[in-house]
Amino acid sequence: MASADGGAYSYSLTVFSPSGKLVQIEHALAVVAGGTTSLGIKASNGIVIATEKKTSSILIDDSMLDKVSVICPNIGIVYSGMGPDSRVLISKARKCAQAYWKMHGEYPPTRVLVQEVATIMQQATQSGGVRPYGVSLLIAGWDINRGQSLYQVDPSGSFWAWKASAIGKNMVNAKTFLEKRYNDDISLEDAIHTALLTLKEGFEGQMTEKTIEIGVVTIPTPEELELGKADAATGRPKPTFRKLTEEEVRDYLAL
Amino acid sequence: MSIMEYNGGSVIAMVGKECVAIACDLRLGNQALGISSKFEKIFPVTDKLYVGLPGLATDVTTLKELFRYRVNMYTIKEEREIEPDTFAHLVSSTLYERRFGPYFIEPVMAGISTTPGGKVKPFIAATDLIGCLNFAKDFVVAGTASSKLFGVAEGLWEPDLEPEDLFETISQTMLNAVDRDAYSGWGTMVYVITKDKVIQRTLKGRMD
Amino acid sequence: MSDTVTLAGPQQRQFNPYSDNGGTILAVAGANFSVIAGDTRQSEGYNIQTRYAPKVFRLTDKAVLAVNGFAADGNMFVKKVKQRLEWYRHAHSKDMPLRSIARLIQSMLYGRRFFPYYVYNILGGIEEDGSGAVYSFDPVGSYERETCRAAGAAQSLVQPFLDNQIYFKNQVAAPGTSHPSHLPLSDVLALVIDSFTSATERHIEVGDGLEIFIVLARGAPIHGLEAIQGIQEMTSNAEGERVFIVRRVLKYD
Repeated sequence: MASADGGAYSYSLTVFSPSGKLVQIEHALAVVAGGTTSLGIKASNGIVIATEKKTSSILIDDSMLDKVSVICPNIGIVYSGMGPDSRVLISKARKCAQAYWKMHGEYPPTRVLVQEVATIMQQATQSGGVRPYGVSLLIAGWDINRGQSLYQVDPSGSFWAWKASAIGKNMVNAKTFLEKRYNDDISLEDAIHTALLTLKEGFEGQMTEKTIEIGVVTIPTPEELELGKADAATGRPKPTFRKLTEEEVRDYLAL
Repeated sequence: MSIMEYNGGSVIAMVGKECVAIACDLRLGNQALGISSKFEKIFPVTDKLYVGLPGLATDVTTLKELFRYRVNMYTIKEEREIEPDTFAHLVSSTLYERRFGPYFIEPVMAGISTTPGGKVKPFIAATDLIGCLNFAKDFVVAGTASSKLFGVAEGLWEPDLEPEDLFETISQTMLNAVDRDAYSGWGTMVYVITKDKVIQRTLKGRMD
Repeated sequence: MSDTVTLAGPQQRQFNPYSDNGGTILAVAGANFSVIAGDTRQSEGYNIQTRYAPKVFRLTDKAVLAVNGFAADGNMFVKKVKQRLEWYRHAHSKDMPLRSIARLIQSMLYGRRFFPYYVYNILGGIEEDGSGAVYSFDPVGSYERETCRAAGAAQSLVQPFLDNQIYFKNQVAAPGTSHPSHLPLSDVLALVIDSFTSATERHIEVGDGLEIFIVLARGAPIHGLEAIQGIQEMTSNAEGERVFIVRRVLKYD
């Protein structure tokens, strides 16, 4: 009963153990803790999310790997844990964003999307015949209401807003590092450098534009805000989230 | 017999200078027979946003409740008040959900929003019964007196009217249009929405 | 031998002798003048047949007739009215009075009670007492004298506007004052042009051109009339009532 692997309670995910645990969720967290490190820092004028991209073989074409994903023009996600599980969540999150646009004519505020993704992850902890998602997510976005915000969502479906956070391997060290480096009026540029420094702490091998992925949230200028949702030229909202190109990552690494 | 003319009724909305106005008649009928002269067709969505629902009376009530439900859910989920343009999309999507068995209502919306820079933005919109949006810059009309409302509004309306002048314009438009429509009339209700207050007046009109 | 053998079931054939050619007409009576106007677009369905087909006709120096509805019937009707008025001149050596023309039109329309002219008529002009008058008719001859009337495609757009601006409906005069029963000519012309630009804006069957006829009572002052751009006089007898025409362009779309 009290065996190390959770005993009989470790298989049926919807059954609590006598100590009040859902052991499968803890296993899922263990998967995340073994995944590559990702982190996010909220700056005064934006957010950076970054991750290391590790491949098991030099033969893998890593240009095709995406660990930082655009969900909608104002929201991006980075994950740690199981790649296949993350893709399912990314695709569900994108569908959520489009469904929201279809209903309301604008993309969701960060918190609404976070709630929806968290609900999806929670459902996997209470339904029969499924296992929890083996990922933690960092969701960064900008909206008119709350400005830039950074959330972490765990396999249990719980979520928190962070000023800075790290997930995956080395997350404990990375968070300690971030605690030392963080201050409330850090600029986006500084935050990007802090992010790279933090990643470097636990990095195995060479940090290059091929092994690092960065996404940034920028905030619109007051003039752009005054114009409203649609950009005059395209009639579409101007993106506030984007991924940095390899060239941009290389330039940041060089500094 | 068209279902859109079964109960009668009309709504109009107009843009002014840093204000908007929306007006409805008060008649509820059963074809040519008048039933009530107290049937309001305009409902508040937020403090600064109103929706008018002319068309089949049963659907007026149903949609009023449905929009109330959806706006309340939105407010709770998002912890913010719905903006006029977002509400317009909500109305549109709600109606299009019933594309092949529609509510017989042509909603008209009027409200104002404030930009982050503090500028007041008047907003009006209307949709057809399946939710096709019309964001007009001057005025929108709907209901059994729509063609009359179009004619009078096109003649009376001018840009940048102050709230009191806008009130006079929308009132005269409504009153004279419904007097030529057998299915609309029996009193008029007008809302003028400005940055800091909403003026609501009930007008007496011809009762024939 | 034919291999297409069809069983001869009951067949129905139909011919509809009427169509609707759109457009709008309008007339307003003043104290000693009358204004009769109509657009010049002629359409069938979504097709514009011509951008210039007059719907308003000078009958005499004191009578102008506007005809709207089925253009073929309208043209034939005007032709027959003109013929009857010419016979009247031959018989009586004078123009028929306006109220008599109105009654004549009623008889001619009712004469076709069971195969009507598919037209709405508005007759404007000057009565024998020198007052401006407007008579409006339905297709089968029911008629009344009024101060103003719109008819045709944009009747529902224009009439309530006229109620408000000509009859001052739903307006309350300032204490101690009252609304005028007749407007001055310049005001009427402005309202007529406004009515047609509004109708052109919101009704697809209205547009292209506007013809405004002005009938002035005998000896009425022509204050400012000669200043109107492009105005033309159509009067045949200098001593009596005078007829003028003003043309304006309307939007083509």
